Amino acid sequence: MYGGDEVSAIVVDVGSYSCKAGYAGDDTPKAVFSSVVGSIEQTGEADEAKAGTASDSKNGAKPMDVDKAKTKRKLYVGQELEFRRDHMEVISPMKDGTVTDWDIVDNIWNHAFKQRLLINPEEHPMLIAEPSTNTGQQREKAAELMFEKYKVPALFLAKNAVLTSFASGRATSLVVDSGGGSTVVAAVHDGYVLQKSVATSPISGEFLTDCMMKSLESKGVVIRPRYSFKKKEVSPGEYKVMDLDFPNTTESYRLYCMRAIASDIKESVCRVPDTAFDEVAYANVPTTSYELPDGQTIEVGADRFKIPDILFNPSLSQTIPGVDGFADSMSARGLPRMVIDSVNRCDVDIRKELLGSILLSGGSSSILQLKERLEKEVLEESPGNARVKVLASGNSVERRFSVWIGGSILASLGSFQQMWFSKAEYEEHGVSYIQRKCP
Amino acid sequence: MEAVVVDAGSKLLKAGVALPDQGPALVMPSKMKLEVEDGQLGDGAVVEEVVQPVVRGFVKDWDAMEDMLSYVLYSNIGWEMGEEGQILFTEPLFTPKALREQLAQLMFEKFNVSGFYDSEQAVLSLYAIGRISGCTVDIGHGKIDIAPVCEGAVQHIASKRFDIGGTDLTNLFVQELKKSNPSVNIDISDVERLKEQYACCAEDQLAFEAIGSSCRPERHTLPDGQVITIGKERYIVGEALYQPHILGLEDYGVVHQLVTSVSNVAPEYHRQLLENTMLCGGTVSMTGFEDRFQREANLSVSAICPSLVKVTSLPFPRSVWSLVTLPSFLQPPEYMPENLTRYSAWLGGAILAKIVFPQNQHITKGEYDETGPSIVHKKCF
Repeated sequence: MYGGDEVSAIVVDVGSYSCKAGYAGDDTPKAVFSSVVGSIEQTGEADEAKAGTASDSKNGAKPMDVDKAKTKRKLYVGQELEFRRDHMEVISPMKDGTVTDWDIVDNIWNHAFKQRLLINPEEHPMLIAEPSTNTGQQREKAAELMFEKYKVPALFLAKNAVLTSFASGRATSLVVDSGGGSTVVAAVHDGYVLQKSVATSPISGEFLTDCMMKSLESKGVVIRPRYSFKKKEVSPGEYKVMDLDFPNTTESYRLYCMRAIASDIKESVCRVPDTAFDEVAYANVPTTSYELPDGQTIEVGADRFKIPDILFNPSLSQTIPGVDGFADSMSARGLPRMVIDSVNRCDVDIRKELLGSILLSGGSSSILQLKERLEKEVLEESPGNARVKVLASGNSVERRFSVWIGGSILASLGSFQQMWFSKAEYEEHGVSYIQRKCP
Repeated sequence: MEAVVVDAGSKLLKAGVALPDQGPALVMPSKMKLEVEDGQLGDGAVVEEVVQPVVRGFVKDWDAMEDMLSYVLYSNIGWEMGEEGQILFTEPLFTPKALREQLAQLMFEKFNVSGFYDSEQAVLSLYAIGRISGCTVDIGHGKIDIAPVCEGAVQHIASKRFDIGGTDLTNLFVQELKKSNPSVNIDISDVERLKEQYACCAEDQLAFEAIGSSCRPERHTLPDGQVITIGKERYIVGEALYQPHILGLEDYGVVHQLVTSVSNVAPEYHRQLLENTMLCGGTVSMTGFEDRFQREANLSVSAICPSLVKVTSLPFPRSVWSLVTLPSFLQPPEYMPENLTRYSAWLGGAILAKIVFPQNQHITKGEYDETGPSIVHKKCF
């Protein structure tokens, strides 16, 4: 039982793409930064590490067979990652939505507390948002790290889907969280996630960005990372672009910078088509221009509609040269299919309520027209008399941070204060007690 | 009775009654001498130590702060014990919540003020110019704050804060002068004044590199009689903000940070933010700083912040025009006092005080007694 005085709780949500941290009670997180970190090997094993990660997939995860003794590395978190350094690899702590490298998560938390929020973790209870599919072992690890290293006075782990549900003021809803690393559909009933209904799919913001990048490459567009060129004023008003050469920049960093630009292109020009994408029909669609950082202008035509439609029809990604296929065809279902499957796995009584309150959250849910298209498709595939309503807050900032906002609401409720897992309880019952305290 | 506005910076404390037509009545260094009677030395010698209550923009030493404020409020402004009025404080970006609560607590419990309000310096600087939206670049003594403000609300997600400022430039200047004048003994307090007198910015990066050979060294006589020569060191100090590796930091220069900061805000605000950029803080008054900033910004904006180009609805021929926005700097209105950039936060505070206190939006003693220090988060933003 933690009966804290008026000290604010801190809400932390570490996602696959970005990390959000801030005080409970605020309406937006104060610290938002990237979840991937830069890492430079300190010892002479730099070449081996590079060879290992160079052949890696798009999210640049560090291969797990690098043993602990070698990994004396310096990590660069948040703002520090933006600066180009020689031999700096970009690595992600997550794979498929779950944490694989706790050392990186530790560094991320440290950066958030000490450098962004400027707080002492020993004085603030922590609310951590965890994936809806989190295993017991992961939760125990998180709790252990928090209590042993940061010595927090109290802790609570809440599932992402539940927090999104609270952010919209509902205790029962179907949450469609389309974030950077993965898309998760989960049903929440009376504040608890129904585990059997949880479905994940690797099609997410990062995947769409990759498709956009490969598609542009196949059309011959060269995206120059921002660090690789410099603009010079040749005469007043006229600029010339000079290429800068940094031979020691790692491939993962170059991809990271290119992805940042492709991501911006995706966010600016893409919109979901009203009906399924058809190569022939969209061949003559008027193009939109986009100015790349180095000044060259590109025209984006059919890709504007094709890329977001991958969410609904994953097989479209196969038509883009260079995109990897899915090993498991089951996991690559379209969004409406995932929603229907998820609802069908729940009890018959609540299905109607779930279909009537489908919540959209996550960065990728801000794609234009996603709400309308999803509503239409789910309506087609659902039983005749069901009322399908997809809800999404109008503000794109709120959609991106809805998990964090839900955490902020939860941690500032008066009735929540007795639910904290306090340090005293941790010391008395041990870390496995968390399974009981945080359902 | 008029409200008092206090802007406690890392180097200078600005305080005065809220009359926005004039600058702050009191501008004093925020440094204090601590006299400690050291009985061990036998003859009752007094050990003096210089104490700085405000470090990097945040109050670190609360006892010293209390003493400094009682000097300012009681001796200087003329408050009387028992008849304290209303006070408005300014604070830098990312102030921890605990610090705000402590300040409110200090004000209400030790000083017994009748009303209290605090606000972020970025917003106040914009009020001083008469805007509610824009981007503030505040380069102070202890920190640099870059804050995009939309309709009076600081976009915290896009804001940045750096723990470098005038004090690091001074240290750099000392180092460089010592390198070129090895035999001269330079005192750090003199260097502050030297920096203000001599430091300047090269026109752009190429000019800076060329300056090494072509700069005309000047001779300066220190107060104690020694003569030093100042050559290209004066340009190094200005360059450090644009190329932080001179200070030993691995990061991009201040203009790059401004543009990345703006690009993190929703795209519809980009134009407005870039066109209403304000430079404030003591360091900005360096010769050549603004021109250099403008020049670098022109280069960076289209390089860093890609603009969405709108196409007309005609299928062909398409006329493409790009919304390349060039940052332009705000000029203060003529009716504002001189030296606006140095005291912009204070002046903005004076303007805000005239709105907040008469309309009872501030925290009163009664509200504080009822709710406690945490009320500062609910009422002041």
